[in-house]
Amino acid sequence: MKSGVLNLVLKRLAIAIVTLLIVLFAVFFATSMLPGDTASILLGQAATPEAVAGLREAMHLNDPAILRFLRWLVGLLHGDLGTSYANEMPVAALIGGRFVNTMKLAGITTLISVPLALTLGITAAMLRGSVYDRTVTVLSIGVISVPEFMVATLAVLLFAVYLKWLPALSSVNEAHSLADLVRIYSMPVITLTFVISAQMIRMTRAAVIETLSTPYVEMALLKGASRSRMVLKHALPNALGPIVNAVALSLSYLVGGVIIVETIFNYPGIAKLMVDAVATRDLPLIQSCAMIFCLGYLLLITAADIVAIMSNPRLR
Amino acid sequence: MTVARAASSRRSFLGHSYNLVGVVASLVILAWTLVAIFAPYIIPHPIGDIVDDDYFGPMRQGLWLGSDYLGRDMLSRVLMGARYTVGISLAAVSIACFSGVVLGMIAAVTGGWFDTCLSRFLDAMNSIPSKLFGLVVVAAVGSSIPVLILTLAVIYIPGAYRFARALAVNINTMDFITVARVRGESTIYLIGSEILPNIIRPVLADFGLRFVFIVLLLSGLSFLGLGLQPPLADWGALVRENIGGLPFAAPAVIVPSLAIASLTISVNLLIDNLPQKIRDRDA
Amino acid sequence: MTDKITNWTGADDAMVENAIRRGASRRELLKMLLAGGAAVAAGGVVLGRATQAVAATPVSGGNFKAAGWSSSTADTLDPAKASLSTDYVRCCSLYNRLTFLDKDGKTQMELAESIDSKDAKTWTVKLRKGVTFHDGKDLTADDVVFSLKRHLDKSVGSKVAKIAAQMTGFKAVDKSTVEITLADPNADLPTILALHHFMIVADGTTDFSKGNGTGAFVLQTFEPGVRSVVTKNKNYWKSGKPYLDSFEFIAISDDSARVNALLSGDINFAAAINPRAMKLLQSQQGFELSKTTSGNYTDLNIRLDMDPGSKADFVTGMKYLVNREQIVKSALRGLGEIGNDQPVSPANIFHNADLKPKAFDPDKAKFHFKKAGLLGQSIPVVASDAATSSIDMAVIIQAAGAEIGMKLDVQRVPSDGYWDNYWLKAPVHFGNINPRPTPDILFSLLYASNAPWNESQYKSEKFDKLLVEARGLLDQAKRKEIYGQMQTMISEEAGTIIPAYISNVDALSSKVKGLEANPLGGMMGYAMAEYLWLEA
Repeated sequence: MKSGVLNLVLKRLAIAIVTLLIVLFAVFFATSMLPGDTASILLGQAATPEAVAGLREAMHLNDPAILRFLRWLVGLLHGDLGTSYANEMPVAALIGGRFVNTMKLAGITTLISVPLALTLGITAAMLRGSVYDRTVTVLSIGVISVPEFMVATLAVLLFAVYLKWLPALSSVNEAHSLADLVRIYSMPVITLTFVISAQMIRMTRAAVIETLSTPYVEMALLKGASRSRMVLKHALPNALGPIVNAVALSLSYLVGGVIIVETIFNYPGIAKLMVDAVATRDLPLIQSCAMIFCLGYLLLITAADIVAIMSNPRLR
Repeated sequence: MTVARAASSRRSFLGHSYNLVGVVASLVILAWTLVAIFAPYIIPHPIGDIVDDDYFGPMRQGLWLGSDYLGRDMLSRVLMGARYTVGISLAAVSIACFSGVVLGMIAAVTGGWFDTCLSRFLDAMNSIPSKLFGLVVVAAVGSSIPVLILTLAVIYIPGAYRFARALAVNINTMDFITVARVRGESTIYLIGSEILPNIIRPVLADFGLRFVFIVLLLSGLSFLGLGLQPPLADWGALVRENIGGLPFAAPAVIVPSLAIASLTISVNLLIDNLPQKIRDRDA
Repeated sequence: MTDKITNWTGADDAMVENAIRRGASRRELLKMLLAGGAAVAAGGVVLGRATQAVAATPVSGGNFKAAGWSSSTADTLDPAKASLSTDYVRCCSLYNRLTFLDKDGKTQMELAESIDSKDAKTWTVKLRKGVTFHDGKDLTADDVVFSLKRHLDKSVGSKVAKIAAQMTGFKAVDKSTVEITLADPNADLPTILALHHFMIVADGTTDFSKGNGTGAFVLQTFEPGVRSVVTKNKNYWKSGKPYLDSFEFIAISDDSARVNALLSGDINFAAAINPRAMKLLQSQQGFELSKTTSGNYTDLNIRLDMDPGSKADFVTGMKYLVNREQIVKSALRGLGEIGNDQPVSPANIFHNADLKPKAFDPDKAKFHFKKAGLLGQSIPVVASDAATSSIDMAVIIQAAGAEIGMKLDVQRVPSDGYWDNYWLKAPVHFGNINPRPTPDILFSLLYASNAPWNESQYKSEKFDKLLVEARGLLDQAKRKEIYGQMQTMISEEAGTIIPAYISNVDALSSKVKGLEANPLGGMMGYAMAEYLWLEA
């Protein structure tokens, strides 16, 4: 049994590496398809043909793109993420602090949103059709149907501008105590919880309801087993696969998709870094960010897949 | 609609109130669909015309929903916006969920290399940031409404696939599937008659959520220059362009938000309250 | 009371127009424009306070935190590469220029003691003595030669390579004298040297991440795309300055977020606020606004060498179809000056005030479109968020066209790569031009036959000849006359429609004192940090 799981994990890891390579190549290909290169974009309105040619030469952009991509890959094997085209700083230095920030925000949000969403989803499923169930549905859909930038802006207006309880900007370098940390992270975390919880709540609810209606659970219920016991002991383990998948998909958003929150709260994370990198066609930086997003995503879904397989004895 | 009514007649008092929600939800959707169809004939002002010297104007006679950031009539813009939000999003979400679910079920039933390759490929697709993807699409094939719909669909296929596959894999291990397999049933029969009926509820719930996501992403892609061109705007874009009115609680930002919420909540409530009949397994 | 500012009225138009008509001196006009015109009439609490601020006595100390609107990983401390306002602000706090423009648009000496020439071709720059870099090195002629000469090196990627190209000879005559030789005479050299890119760096610098300059502040932290912190340079050569202990600069690209951060007290200064946020700012206590109308503009470019611009009647028709008042009123919410299709703004001493903007006249437009045979055809107009307000302008023009049966197909394209892919290339498209200090720079970059950014492909031998002639003239009056004539030519012949000069409004906490408007742009021409102080 144990070696079976180990085998599974190893196999999935091997596949994950292949997927990563595919993604890196796809991102590279997509970037090279975009018109303009770093030299012309950095020069912006000053990009006369001679100026672009001169700068391209100086930045060694004249090598074929595929060669630069391969060179980056080789560097990666040696643990070197390369040097940014846009500002000649090592990519690792650019990403470093911001990656930590992203992880902090993602971690805190996960700690709050996952338990919250699962509780709401499961209870809604158990009380299916009740006022409670419907309130949860309306609220969770209502909350995500408000665009993220509006939730964030509204939160700032309310808590920072009018009530003055919280700072409008999440300046990480001003966090000296736990109280500071709470003040700085409350608004981004609330906004993100709003954004990602709905999917988890809805999917959990649907999956639990589905398993509750499978013949053997129905049978057990007919035999008089208590509903909550049923849910926890039988329905939940069976619904775990879809639930962890929904959780993984929601959480993957926290790695690369928080651009709006980063922008509005001026929080230096890697989503904005990626946008900058695309805007300047900064290949090494794009590749490195894409790699992080992809790794994060693969890690989450691989974990989800493994949990799903483990939870269903027939799949093992 | 008719289905909902048929169901309500089948139900007790409690069941009746249960379905009332479904009826109201479908009425809201119907109303927005009608608005979408007839918008060009009922808007009081051309959507590009500046009719108010002020901006973020309040609701008043003649400008029933106030004016937007340029002084354009909000009522006309919201009514016309319905066309794009309802039409494009529904088309996109249908394509995304249909393809995703069908592929997911096939992968679950077939298994093996087909499953592995497809899963990895779609995982890979999901890892590409949608903004980068959008930019590449504009650069490669230009901008039009069909391209916009396809782009939105492609962005959401991997998610729909992953979720449907996770559900189908669980069902696939059940005894009745094994029995059917032993009977020598075809893959099409398996997914159509055995798997789909057993995962339809979560799949529909997923559809409802994806619809919400697409409604919101639509405006983001419009801002990348994909699809809708000014002065046309979907509801998400209306919220976005008038966000400056938020501190004044301007109708220009509140009304399109409410419109989005009313539509997306209705779609999801309708899904939750679909009559039992549809998902009964071997009725 | 301040509604007048946000809601541009006919009275404001008339006021500016009358002033121009009665030949208001540039200074008067500038004062009026800077004071916000309407604001004065309305009892302008907002902008009238600049004078009080000057009268108050500066106090030292305090940490000043300001937010600009754009920043990215491409942020740089290399003045030659500076491309965003963010870069200018940072460079201004770390380095000095040889000259700078004061609030009246006059050229003043900074690191230079004097810049003289007899023939406008060979210039002698005398440097100020006793100026040191942050690392303790003395400022010498070699630093100046190095700083200027590097713009000619293609591998540097200088933003002003084209302008610098006219400087052909650099010589360090002695420790504090530099001789600059130009290819052709140019009387504007002292003003050109006030461009932010011509900041003086230490000889031989290759790594600019230290920000080693002669400026008022010393670099403490710099994270591209995130923030920078600079602290007071205790050895600054301008005595008493700077007043601030430290200056932190960040960028918040979201308009509402920037204003909200100011309102919540997270920052002291929010640059370039959206005109629509003014209502909000005025509803709160303790905040003020500062308006600058410099030469920034967004223009509609019709290429004369391609269809449909090759038909002169189309271009004329479009000039009549552009409702400039509506653009200023609705798109810019009154925070702009109506333009007359030429690039020299009223903030420039060479502005031709006799040149009237074309009045909105759909009937005339229709007549010309019909004559061109284009009525009823669909003409694509490319606009993008990259060019400020261009989408709003496009929509306004489109609606006016729809009234007369002229179908303009507005195409919103991504800001990403706009300057590369669409600007200068599409037959009808929008551009956005930043203020430049002299007409010569504007004309050479934008309208000469060989101009690199000839937006409408305007070609005129007469124009080219006048350009060279005016450049070498040391007689200001004569130059003004020629430049006036050239402005008329552009307005009538070129395919660039400049509906308005866009004002910049910065918002600040009332505690911030010493801010004055500057014709080089907002934030005192980006150099505010060294002049401001914080009231205790």
